[in-house]
Amino acid sequence: MTVSIILAVLVVLGVPLFIIIATSALLGFSKIDVDLSVIAIEIYRIADTPVLLAIPLFTLAGYVLGESKASERLVRLTDALLGWFPGGLAVVSLFACAFFTALTGASGATIIALGAILYPAMKQAGYAENFNLGLITSSGSLGLLFPPSIALILYGVIAQQMDIGENVAIDDLFLAGLFPGLFMLLLLTAWSMYKSSGMHIVRSEFRWPKLGAALLESIWEIPMPFVLIGGIYSGYFAISEAAAVAVLYVLVVEVVILREVPLKKLPDIMRDSMVLVGGVLIILAVSLASTNYLIDTEVPVRLFEFVKSKIDSQLTFLMLLNIFLLLLGMILDVFSALVIMVPLILPMAVGYDIHPIHLGIIFLANMQIGYFTPPVGMNLFIASYRFHKPVTELYTSTIPFMFILMAAVLVITYWPELTMYLVEHKGG
Amino acid sequence: MNKRHIVRLIKAVNRIEDWLLISMLAVMVILAVTQIVYRNFSGGGVAWIDPLLRMLVLWVALSGAVIASRTDNHIRIDFFAKYLSGKYYFYIKRVVHAYCVIICAVIAWYSTNFVQMDYEYETEAFAGVPAWITELIIPVAFGLMAFRYFLLFLSPPRSDKR
Repeated sequence: MTVSIILAVLVVLGVPLFIIIATSALLGFSKIDVDLSVIAIEIYRIADTPVLLAIPLFTLAGYVLGESKASERLVRLTDALLGWFPGGLAVVSLFACAFFTALTGASGATIIALGAILYPAMKQAGYAENFNLGLITSSGSLGLLFPPSIALILYGVIAQQMDIGENVAIDDLFLAGLFPGLFMLLLLTAWSMYKSSGMHIVRSEFRWPKLGAALLESIWEIPMPFVLIGGIYSGYFAISEAAAVAVLYVLVVEVVILREVPLKKLPDIMRDSMVLVGGVLIILAVSLASTNYLIDTEVPVRLFEFVKSKIDSQLTFLMLLNIFLLLLGMILDVFSALVIMVPLILPMAVGYDIHPIHLGIIFLANMQIGYFTPPVGMNLFIASYRFHKPVTELYTSTIPFMFILMAAVLVITYWPELTMYLVEHKGG
Repeated sequence: MNKRHIVRLIKAVNRIEDWLLISMLAVMVILAVTQIVYRNFSGGGVAWIDPLLRMLVLWVALSGAVIASRTDNHIRIDFFAKYLSGKYYFYIKRVVHAYCVIICAVIAWYSTNFVQMDYEYETEAFAGVPAWITELIIPVAFGLMAFRYFLLFLSPPRSDKR
């Protein structure tokens, strides 16, 4: 009890999360008289988890891509493909953002890189300001369920550490995220088409030469998703190998061939990307220790028994889980939320007969909404900074998008086949 | 040693940390790619590359975390702290940074024991590399983070702008 009060005070004061988690591990282990050097043994487990290699590599690839002009090419290509559609540029924005977020990892880069192009373009085409802002802010996290999402990799790593009987392979998670991610994208597309039918907007028309030109200028980037995803699903690459190929490919294309990222800038990009990785992995490292303490003292089991005594249907559990995760997403970023909560929630979910892969998708779908829910959704602040708008204006403009994605989360939660279909029917 | 010397010393440490991190990441990329080439063209990978890559993940991650502490750029819940302002904010920051110094120092101290144990038992990590060397980053990184938070404790940044 006293420990919880200490930890709560630390949270309120704004102490870095890794320090708080380390505190709980240190206090826990000293209470059961375990030598505290155990914490170093747990941190060292970061070096015993081969798939973690994918995280720094994919992050670096994403950062380099974010620095190049790939974002502009992606918008032109999507526009040539989808710009003639009812809803026009709004639909283009949704697809381009989802794609870019998946490739660069959801770290706010999408709003910075794509928002700079899409926001003025949509304004000029005649979209209502409120709709425009809401769309771009809420699309900034749209690719979280698509490969090679770093959040999905992290969920897989944590679930594998838990030893829950069922295997949680990361390529299965990638497969599982596809339909739910597309479903969210389709709902938002439908909404955008409906909304923009009332606005007087300029649609671009479909022309083959325009598509040809857009394809030609993106000729270097187009093969990349196919190589990566094909390589992973065909079993040709392990995830970390795909990440190495991605880095090599991005470096060769953007630095050597297109020369959009000057060699001189590379050291700074490398450092900045690893500051992000370090911030996430150090939380993972210390929470390996705190989780181990929790398991030693059977906290997850007792928590499950307690919850089971109050709630007996899976349906109610899922409902409460959704509410809890939404609230969690409001105050925590996706990475910290995964590291802290999955060890507690996963055993419970398995107890309620929820597949670990399905849980991972539910978890991330909720967290995706948290990116732009008030008061602290990261993308709200990035958009506010980027478009020089007060955060309160963004609060109101994102509300309709929030409700649509909440509806999507409900479907994803209560219709497990949407998530599990591809996993259960994969070839080979 | 006057203030100018200290500032210069800190800048030098910054640069060393930056370049160590960048070089390790570069080695990581090169080795990861090399391993794929070997696996595809000569049937099998090089035995020592995989464990070395795993070790580099730990080293790169902890070095990145050290650099994040330089500007106190770690993930936190700043939900409540946002509403604290002015002089209180300043004092609270000091308390928070002092607390970070303590925890980082405690971890650095206990991980030194861990490293020392593996040194005495002469545990091998891989390919003849002693385990204590691969573990050394843990006390070093936490020691450096304690140092960074100590500097922030002495002179906390005036505002929360990063």
